[in-house]
Amino acid sequence: MNLTIFIIVLVVYLLATIFLGYLGWKRTKNASDFMVGGRKTHPYVMAISYGATFISTSAIVGFGGQAANLGMGLLWLAFLNILLGIFVAFIFFGKKTRLIGANLDAHTFPEFLGKRYDSRAIQRIGGIVVFIFMPMYAGAVLIGAARFIEESLKLQFVWALVIYTVIIAIYVFAGGIKGVMYTDTLQGTIMLGGMGALLILTYVKLGGFVSAHKALTDLASKFPAALAKGGGQGWTTMPVLGSPIWWTVVSAIILGVGIGVLAQPQLAVRFMMVKSNKELNRAVLIGGIFILMMTGVAFVVGALSNVYFFREAGKIAVDVVEKGNVDLIIPAYINAAMPPWFVYLFMITLLAAAMSTSSGQLHAMGTSFGRDVFSRSKYSADYKEEKSTKGIVSTRIGILIGVIVSFVLGYFLPISIVARATSLFFGLCAATFLPMYILGLFWKRANKAGALAGMITGIVTSVFWMFFVHEANSKIIGIVTAMTGKTSLLGAPWKSMDSIVIAFPLAFIVTLIVTLCTKPMPKETVDKAFKKEEIAISK
Amino acid sequence: GVSVFLAYLFCILVTLLCVIYGAVMWNKDK
Repeated sequence: MNLTIFIIVLVVYLLATIFLGYLGWKRTKNASDFMVGGRKTHPYVMAISYGATFISTSAIVGFGGQAANLGMGLLWLAFLNILLGIFVAFIFFGKKTRLIGANLDAHTFPEFLGKRYDSRAIQRIGGIVVFIFMPMYAGAVLIGAARFIEESLKLQFVWALVIYTVIIAIYVFAGGIKGVMYTDTLQGTIMLGGMGALLILTYVKLGGFVSAHKALTDLASKFPAALAKGGGQGWTTMPVLGSPIWWTVVSAIILGVGIGVLAQPQLAVRFMMVKSNKELNRAVLIGGIFILMMTGVAFVVGALSNVYFFREAGKIAVDVVEKGNVDLIIPAYINAAMPPWFVYLFMITLLAAAMSTSSGQLHAMGTSFGRDVFSRSKYSADYKEEKSTKGIVSTRIGILIGVIVSFVLGYFLPISIVARATSLFFGLCAATFLPMYILGLFWKRANKAGALAGMITGIVTSVFWMFFVHEANSKIIGIVTAMTGKTSLLGAPWKSMDSIVIAFPLAFIVTLIVTLCTKPMPKETVDKAFKKEEIAISK
Repeated sequence: GVSVFLAYLFCILVTLLCVIYGAVMWNKDK
């Protein structure tokens, strides 16, 4: 790769990004613009922005590497991502969220939940959860991007981290959600082009669709011995039903879909950015294609890279990279198998994937601080503050604090904790927000007492489980070892279960029981949230 | 082996579902 050409391509891309951030700044007149884009976002922009925020670099490189190791059975995850993450999310969650969000004048996800249950406490606690725990997740994405820049530009790590963080902070700070959405659209479109080209070039390289898959099937005898012993049967076959490797694949699929995705504040808020259900219906078309081209292509190309490496080097993918680190497989494959022009495109694709995820996180942290923690929301009846500029300054302060905390966490936290940050945050969001979000959308009887009880249960159970039981986390955090000398308070199978498997169902049950034991909410509060439903849903 | 083939197929089918739903609604909402 020629570094000069890459730097030219990179500078052009960054200039375009900064210009779009400037455009967002020019078009931001009030707090509603800064937080929800004035609720008038174009469906293509909304769908691509949702998808690009959803998919980070680790999804492309990490998922691709996993498929190179475990095989194409992981495609069930891509299927569930599209079905739940797009189809169900947009049509069932999105429409209701947009309607209630517009009725109650909500600008953030915690505010949406707070107003649905008429509880400032829910909004504040939600804002605190986002503002305290999201920086760790944001830090993990910052680190991933900085490592990548360090490698590709031969920069010192700390400078790579500073440059990356500052560029994103500038356009999120200045342009608000419009700056984020415009840049997301550029970044998402680059991602579509990059992954589309990767799929086509891979099939061409391997002699066509049928030949590539047949070659991969014929490679089954070369499947890693350790995996074959655990029940793996090759890259185009599922592992033996019920075998250890089968469980590895299935739990990766179930946790990867992460019901956590449905309750991500930076994703849910995007449903409130469109004008009507018409835009959401159109966004489904774009969103479905986008996620297929990201996770679907990553899994297929990752698995097929084995054919290329075996033909060229006589080794399978996991034996080509050093120490069998699966995260290095996709970059190694791109560098070895793809034409030079594509290497540049793919580098920008990975950078775009990271930037679009980081920007959504920073914006969510900023609004949580400026809007939710120090709640400025009006809970009175008919107040609409669509034209007010109140809250922009405090949100910008929140963005700055969020940037600094994420940067510091990313720089100082040990790599083992950073690697767990994404799943920790997804698990916590699912347990904290999802029970009352689902019930609040589809059950008019849902009330404040139940929502608060479930929220507290979810937070306490998640944190306890992460720190004291789930061995993958508790071992690294180390508190339980310091206190008891053991790595987990409970034995198998509990210690291998992710917190989401325990905390989310428990919080859901508590929400239900407490709701049924307490009075319903006043009829007018509920009617206000759901008004015009009959007209809006049928559109 | 069939279940992996089905995973590939279902990925394409669910995307088609999204595309067809979006296109039909687009036409309807015009």
